[in-house]
Amino acid sequence: MSAVRLIARDELRLMARNRVAVIAFVLLVLLTLVAVASAWSHQRNIAELRERNAHAAESAFDRQPDRHPHRVVHAGHFIFRPLGPLAAFDPGVDAFTGNSMFLEGHRQNTANFGDVRQSSLLVRFGLLTPAFVLQVVAPLLLIFLGYGVLARERERGTLRVLLLQGAGRGEVVGGKLLAVGTVAMLAGLPAMIGFALIAGQPGALVLPMLTIAGGYLLYLALWVLLIVLVSALVRRSLDALLALLALWVVTVVLLPRLAPDVAGAAVPLDNRLQTDVAIARDLRAMGDSHDPDDPYFDEFKQSVLERYDVGTVEELPVNYQGLLAMEGEQMTSKLFDQYADKSYNAQERQNWMVEWLGVLSPAISVRSVSMAAAGTDFAGHRRFLDQAEAYRYELVQQLNRLQAEAVSYADDIAEDPGADDRRRVAAANWAKMPDFGFRPATSAELARAAVPGLLMLVGWLVLAGLALASATRRLGWAK
Amino acid sequence: MGEMNLLKHELRLLFRQRLTSLSLMLLALLTVTSILAGIAEVDRQRADIAAIPAAQNEDISAIASWIDEDKDPGSAAYYSFHPTWDEPSPLAFAAIGMRDVSPYILRVRALSLEAQIYDGDTFNPELALPGQFDFAFVLVFLAPLFVIVLFHDLVSGEREARRARTLEALPRGGRALWRRRSALRFGLLWLVLAAPFTTTAIIENVGAAPIALILVTIAAYLFFWVGLAALIDRLRWSSVANAATLSAAWLVLVLIVPTLANVAINRAIPVNQGTEIAMANQEVVHGAWEIPREDTMERFYANHPRWSDSEPLGPDFHYKWYFAFHQNGDEAVAPQARAYRQGLEGRDAHARALGWVLPSVGVQALLTRIAGTDLTAQLAYQDRIRAFHERLRNFYYEYLFYDRPFGKDDFDRAPRFGSS
Repeated sequence: MSAVRLIARDELRLMARNRVAVIAFVLLVLLTLVAVASAWSHQRNIAELRERNAHAAESAFDRQPDRHPHRVVHAGHFIFRPLGPLAAFDPGVDAFTGNSMFLEGHRQNTANFGDVRQSSLLVRFGLLTPAFVLQVVAPLLLIFLGYGVLARERERGTLRVLLLQGAGRGEVVGGKLLAVGTVAMLAGLPAMIGFALIAGQPGALVLPMLTIAGGYLLYLALWVLLIVLVSALVRRSLDALLALLALWVVTVVLLPRLAPDVAGAAVPLDNRLQTDVAIARDLRAMGDSHDPDDPYFDEFKQSVLERYDVGTVEELPVNYQGLLAMEGEQMTSKLFDQYADKSYNAQERQNWMVEWLGVLSPAISVRSVSMAAAGTDFAGHRRFLDQAEAYRYELVQQLNRLQAEAVSYADDIAEDPGADDRRRVAAANWAKMPDFGFRPATSAELARAAVPGLLMLVGWLVLAGLALASATRRLGWAK
Repeated sequence: MGEMNLLKHELRLLFRQRLTSLSLMLLALLTVTSILAGIAEVDRQRADIAAIPAAQNEDISAIASWIDEDKDPGSAAYYSFHPTWDEPSPLAFAAIGMRDVSPYILRVRALSLEAQIYDGDTFNPELALPGQFDFAFVLVFLAPLFVIVLFHDLVSGEREARRARTLEALPRGGRALWRRRSALRFGLLWLVLAAPFTTTAIIENVGAAPIALILVTIAAYLFFWVGLAALIDRLRWSSVANAATLSAAWLVLVLIVPTLANVAINRAIPVNQGTEIAMANQEVVHGAWEIPREDTMERFYANHPRWSDSEPLGPDFHYKWYFAFHQNGDEAVAPQARAYRQGLEGRDAHARALGWVLPSVGVQALLTRIAGTDLTAQLAYQDRIRAFHERLRNFYYEYLFYDRPFGKDDFDRAPRFGSS
């Protein structure tokens, strides 16, 4: 048996004899299993609930009686963001964003009923998921088990003995790495059980799952390196423990909270009131739909009359009110898109800043890898918001077109008691309207989004590896 | 040597240890940073609220100018949004609580409130995910770790340096010595947290009672962790074992138990009424177009006889019917809205109950309560919105139900949030 494996076996045997270490390890495994089970069932419940709600909303929409199409525009439609299977591993921002949205004409509503506003204050302590266990708890366990691997040997003078007996420095360090690495693999394994559950579900994508697994592998490997490195550098094991704890607190607890504050202060977001007022202002500048003599709408009317080669709106083969509604919707939607893009881009800039602060904290990097590949990051939510707006626009315009084609202009502007019934369009039309179907990101898109974070982790790994190599060369020199 | 001199001597000893002085400096730095971050956030929110009138005036005067032509009160009520806001309390800087994810500005119109009151404001969910970096975070999450650093080797360190026996044999040594050293470390930690907090709180005009309460809370929370360290110390393990055990206890008490409890509470009290309210409300409101208009008015007048002497509906569209079915829609889902709120309060109450046995949760709950940034404060804001919305409705109904013209000047008579 090689010296490396002998040293690793000895170290593991020592750990196994440490009762506290064994208890901590067992607790971690149990915690992971609880996290896997609860996150999985939570994801299943939410996914089912939203699917049920989506069906109820669709059938409510389709069941509408004979109605004026503009009534249907205002009666609106509820849609729900589905939760992908990988959210059972890392739900990301799901709890922090609303998941249901009310779509209607000329208005863009917020996504409402997010868990964060519906849960007790405990939700801000963190969410118990496999991702949380691997990002936060697992490194701490590795620190407890590994801080002394070299520091202890040096403190007790056994390191000198090992080296005198002919073990190479590289072999000693390699053995210790192997031992701590083995523990890391064992600690990470239960979380991967969650993957087995997820893999059985429809829509579970292989490449993103491999990306996530790879990200956590790099992350835990990095901690193994850092632990052995610190243990090699300091003189006393107590110092090694305190230094590693400090490193953990700063990179895992402190920086992930501090970074968003920095990004939030650097890139401010407009609030909804300011945005709504700005949109109304821009709309007034384009044309005033309440003013019958407004130049913009006058010009629009002229262009319609010319297109159909008629003299008055009454002579048009289509209902002018419907055309007007389409034009108005197109104007407001353009502004909605413009302002939403501005806000989303600002949020992406904020996230990008946080991601760069991952240079200082591998926990930030692994979190972004995990969320990005699971499709539960801001980009995933934005996908939903963008598709929701596109669908809203499409639906409203189809209804407006129906108004233009199936309701006569004369009926539309009539005010006699019977007019209301004449304006109604057959109920069969509602079921013909498209249903909202969320198109999730493709496997390749998800994996690609994780690349920056993965590179950041690899960078850390290389640096830690180089530092360890240099520390290994100086190992055991008398001070 | 007098007691004072002894303390001075111990203080000198303490600061000679690099780890101790570094730790205290780091904690001071974190405390000050967190307070500055909290102040920056609260200032941002105050600036947003201060910017409301300008934007609102611009918006309303544009609406008023075209409404003034027909003087139709229905259009005025339909197109006018009215701002409400939730000013941060003086203490909000210390515990931002839910203020980063719940709206502190919301505009409402006299239409169905249930379709408006659950709306949120713009925030970046990825930034909100890890939680705020505020004073409450430094106290609840980080301060215990500094207790661990300063206390894990209090006795065991001397034992390992083989000085413990000598120290115990000294006059005023032994227990008195450990007590002195403990008190000194405890006092320094408390001071490092309390001094920046108190200074800022006084500048922010926080009252004396809340400041005193929080100062006591800081002391009590630190005392819990010092006590835990002392308990572990009695096992006479090595300093390393003490440090490892204490940080494991921190992990369990501050991170693991709260997250487990969150899962358990949310499982025990499911809250799914939100979407039900929204969908049912929408169904009732728009269903009004399919039923005789008189039925809608009858139902409305039954609940609000105050307006029942209004003229009967003519053949034409009348906004009073439109607003009546919106209000009917709110009233139809009132039971669900109450159940929803009870669900939220139930979850909150369970978490608070946990706070009695789990100091980390207890301190967080207490701080956000005193700072008025917790769920209770959010619900109180919703109550204020509801009351204001009621005033809005009554204001417009005066015009709508008695067909009084609504001119430019009438916009200035509209109720304003925050004044009665």
